[in-house]
Amino acid sequence: MKRFLALMSALALTAALAACSSGDGEGSGLLIYSGRSQEFIEPFFAAFTEETGIQIEVRYGDSAALAAQILEEGGNSPADLFLSQDAGALGAVSGANLLAALDPALLGRVAGTYRSPLGDWVAVTGRVRVFAYAPDRVASLPDSVDDLIDPIWKGRIAIAPTNSSFQAFVTAMIQTRGERATENWLNGIKANKPKLYEKNSLIVQAIDAGQVDAGLVNHYYTWEVEEELGREINVKNAFFSPGDLGNLVNVSGVGILSTSTDQDLASQLVDFLLSEEEQKQFVSETHEYSIVLPGLRPDGLPALEEIAAPRVNLAALSDLQRTQNLLIKVGLL
Amino acid sequence: MAIINPLSAKKVKGGTVENPPSPLLIFAGLVTLSLAALPIAYLVRRATQIDAQSLSIVLFRAKTLEIIFTTLSLALFVALFATALGVGIAWMLNNVALPFLGLIRALVVLPVAIPSYVFTYSWLSLGFLPSGFIAAVVVLTLSTAPYVTLAALAAFKRIDTSQLDVAQTLGLNQFGTFLRVTLPQIRNAVGAGSLIVALYVLSDFGAVSLLGVDTFTRAIQNTYQGSFDRGSAAILALFLVAISSTVISLEIKSRESTVTVKSSVQITKRLPYNNSIRVKLVAAIAIIAYLALALVAPLSVLLYRFFSRVSPLDVTELVNAAFSTITVSILGALIAMLLAIPVAFLAVRGTWIGVWSERAVLLVHALPGIVMGLALVSFGSEFPVIYQTIGLLAFAYSILFLARSVGSIRAAFGKVPLSLTEIAATLGQTRSRTFYRVTLPLAAPGVLTGTLLVFLSAMKELPATLMLRPTGFETLATEIWNNTAIFRFSEAAPYALLLVAIAAIPTFLISRPDRESERGELQ
Amino acid sequence: MTSLEIRELGVHLGNREVLHDLNLTIPSGSFAAILGPSGCGKTTLLRTIAGLVRPSAGAIRFGKQLVSVSSLVLPPHKRNIGYLPQESGLFPHLSVGENVGFAFKKEVKAEQRREIIDEMLELVGLTGFADRKPHQLSGGQQTRVALARALAIRPAIVLLDEPFSNLDHALRAEVSGEVVSLLKKTKTTSLMVTHDREDALVSADLIALMRDGRVVQSGTPESVYMAPASADIAESTGDILELPAQRLLKNRKKLISPLHLSAKKASGDAETGSILIRPEEIRVYEKKSNLPTAKITQIHYYGHDAILELALPGFSKEVKVRVTGPLNFEVGKTVALEHVGPIRWVTKKPTDE
Repeated sequence: MKRFLALMSALALTAALAACSSGDGEGSGLLIYSGRSQEFIEPFFAAFTEETGIQIEVRYGDSAALAAQILEEGGNSPADLFLSQDAGALGAVSGANLLAALDPALLGRVAGTYRSPLGDWVAVTGRVRVFAYAPDRVASLPDSVDDLIDPIWKGRIAIAPTNSSFQAFVTAMIQTRGERATENWLNGIKANKPKLYEKNSLIVQAIDAGQVDAGLVNHYYTWEVEEELGREINVKNAFFSPGDLGNLVNVSGVGILSTSTDQDLASQLVDFLLSEEEQKQFVSETHEYSIVLPGLRPDGLPALEEIAAPRVNLAALSDLQRTQNLLIKVGLL
Repeated sequence: MAIINPLSAKKVKGGTVENPPSPLLIFAGLVTLSLAALPIAYLVRRATQIDAQSLSIVLFRAKTLEIIFTTLSLALFVALFATALGVGIAWMLNNVALPFLGLIRALVVLPVAIPSYVFTYSWLSLGFLPSGFIAAVVVLTLSTAPYVTLAALAAFKRIDTSQLDVAQTLGLNQFGTFLRVTLPQIRNAVGAGSLIVALYVLSDFGAVSLLGVDTFTRAIQNTYQGSFDRGSAAILALFLVAISSTVISLEIKSRESTVTVKSSVQITKRLPYNNSIRVKLVAAIAIIAYLALALVAPLSVLLYRFFSRVSPLDVTELVNAAFSTITVSILGALIAMLLAIPVAFLAVRGTWIGVWSERAVLLVHALPGIVMGLALVSFGSEFPVIYQTIGLLAFAYSILFLARSVGSIRAAFGKVPLSLTEIAATLGQTRSRTFYRVTLPLAAPGVLTGTLLVFLSAMKELPATLMLRPTGFETLATEIWNNTAIFRFSEAAPYALLLVAIAAIPTFLISRPDRESERGELQ
Repeated sequence: MTSLEIRELGVHLGNREVLHDLNLTIPSGSFAAILGPSGCGKTTLLRTIAGLVRPSAGAIRFGKQLVSVSSLVLPPHKRNIGYLPQESGLFPHLSVGENVGFAFKKEVKAEQRREIIDEMLELVGLTGFADRKPHQLSGGQQTRVALARALAIRPAIVLLDEPFSNLDHALRAEVSGEVVSLLKKTKTTSLMVTHDREDALVSADLIALMRDGRVVQSGTPESVYMAPASADIAESTGDILELPAQRLLKNRKKLISPLHLSAKKASGDAETGSILIRPEEIRVYEKKSNLPTAKITQIHYYGHDAILELALPGFSKEVKVRVTGPLNFEVGKTVALEHVGPIRWVTKKPTDE
């Protein structure tokens, strides 16, 4: 009995010491909440620290989850910056008035639609919605997303309705066409018995495995899956006709928290991420599009300007509630 | 205290002095109660911030009804099947002469060491899971059956085997004996195990999200992180609390109406094995099938992914994550133990505060990790000193899994005969000395089991961990998530395997029969 | 050396009044037995004395010290008593030595502790058992360790709750004899609760008979056995025959009953009642004149003696008679009966049971 107590107290003491010694001194350095995964974004942070000497601490997570956390933390958030995988999450945090206004010079580096109308967040990279397909099983490519309602696509399409990228796409449709029309489209897709997946990567994998012929995903997943499996896959990306809603460009972006005590340093990071050199890196390393330099083309894909993305208010993409309700109503969620 | 025939027992009250519990104890109980109430308080606060329109949407739309139905039926089916499976396996372990019994018992319980998201992911990779709901029932049944197995095994040990002999002479075959003699007596213990399963299913997110089953946890997640509508999410979470509360009340009610046995002579003779070849064969096949589905399949997938990795193993990161996991989980388990002991003690004495604390603790157990996480983010961010520290994370674990601890410890306290504590009093011991010198040592195995259960659950926890961990602090679970989020399943495999390996240790310890307590019950 | 005094004790358990207006005095140093049927409240009485049950009325004194008055109680751990329950109640997680030394205060040094433990174990005849565990002991040994444990703190009073009922028959006599003699030797005031009347008669200096929550008669075993206050009370201590009878007012020794034929029909005034007769107070003869006869219906042979059940004309129930020596009777034989004991007259009419 005594030994048991002694052991327990020893353990408790060690653990308690560990507990106190967690957060290192906040003082100098930036705390970033990053919805972008460590593997892809860490080299950029390392380069920044090397160049400026500013220390960076990063909390990695899911963009939406981090946004929810920031919203919950409210005025007590310890974060300096929020780096998000999509505009919706940024919009939500902006909507709660938790982001600080950015330097207009920084904002000016991207075209109007790729930054917050309130000036409190800015796009860093772009990701385009594409039609991924198996070349040997899909003879003719659709011109528009509306073509996908055609019965010839019955049972052959995959979507990920719980995924924020698909929901952003639906939100964009609501924005441009209105709820009624979007509902019709969704009903049409539902009638074609699409296969539902939780993640974009699962869709690409499924196409490669022959479970489904095509799907609506973000452009870089084909590349990602190839990397993971270590071999070429039987999937190609295709775009819809220029200006079609199916070519929606979403962005990963960054904002500075208004609760941050190091807003100057944070601004330097934003500047860094939007610099030409880093933007080129994004294109070559992570196969994304650069909003700052729309002429650059990731491997094997057309340039941003050639795609002619639809004009959509990205900030409004945070209004996912309507989208979700619609998806629920139609029965896809 | 006369020997009572268990089949017709009435609850015999000893007519004790019934002093009210000491103020210190009550205070401790209140502390635990209010800590357990934190997440509920958070939900109520957020729910009241909702606007009328969103409220009516959430409450009255058809989808909500569907979610209720799906969640309830999932919990019901899994509880049913897991109970049948768990009791069946326990019966086989207890009554059939199987080789390597100790090993099989440990293996049969091992599936709980695999987190549900890893389990589901592996099965999905194998490619032949049927549609969403059925798949979820299968997956959750396989991985939660061990909880019932453990409860049933403990209950079997307490049965008077001479009754089974008598029943057989009265013309009942083995199955009939089981149904009419054994089953009524193990009902309480098994019921408690089924409750744990039901609450687990209600709170599970990993399996249902991957399989696309529309339960509350998924709806809550989508609302928090889709529409960022915390008011509606809180309402949904409160729905879940209401459902769990009903389930808990049902179990408690069924517990009270059955007989409580307190015979002073414990017979723990082993029934001599007396099975036909047919029974032995069926048992062997059943157990092999279960192990194949619940253990071999997911582990094989993990191993396959592990060996088909592309990049080299980062051992430092692996060891760090393992060390972090163990540290914070042990801390959480210890806090849970400290919080649980007063509540368990008060509950087993039947006091008002004990009973309600236990219920509150059970309720909180049914909450998905995301709710606990956000509740503590909301609370913790007010105090930068504790926010995003290991301490707060450990605290979150302790509250989330307190129910496991309380249940086990309360059962252990209950087994300490009242007569022993009375005798200690006559031997000059005050109540607190009696507690430390008699009750606690005799209940120690149960306390240990409860603590190990919390330790095990803490290691696997994900959503609350993601939110509350110190920046840069990675557990094995978060590393798995980090990798699977970017579809690096092969990269996740080493962490998953290490997590299962480490989790196997407390699982194994829990599955061992209590030799100490067996001896202790011989009077 | 403390006496035990109980005055007008009342105890409520739930809704029932289990003890009512109970009075009992046990002189210091004596061994008392409480005898009564199941449910009469004897265990509750014991537990109340121990402090495990709170009374609702009455007072209990240990010597000069008041330990309970109405509902005010001295808690059990302050009463300095020894308590032996039905199951030995040894702590399974402690060794025999640790059990015996359980009640020692922390201030007692290890040496002294050891000394007393060894002394106690020797007293109960278990020298050298200190390191064994309870589950390694037999039932009788466990009871003895429990006794050693209770006596180790030199209690004022020792309470025993049917402590030998779990032992098998042969062992019971031996162990109970040892325990009782030890308690008497150490002049410990002891109170034993039992439903075994032979046990009580053999061991006790004082017997208290309990019925329905009160003490109905107390005294030495002999006085209680030979002079029971009623047929009911007589039943507690042994078999009793309640025979309806009449006795002459003029000569109280003259009885008219199925067993007494000497006086004929009552000439003059006689009162009706019954007499209480013990089985050993009837002598059996092969044949004798002037004596009533009865037919043997059953024989219970115990080896050292036998109980005959006889059908006595004029009396509806079987009459039990104890005979010693070699058995010369069989079932069906007719024998003559003579009442040779004292006349215990009960004035009320016997009720048909």
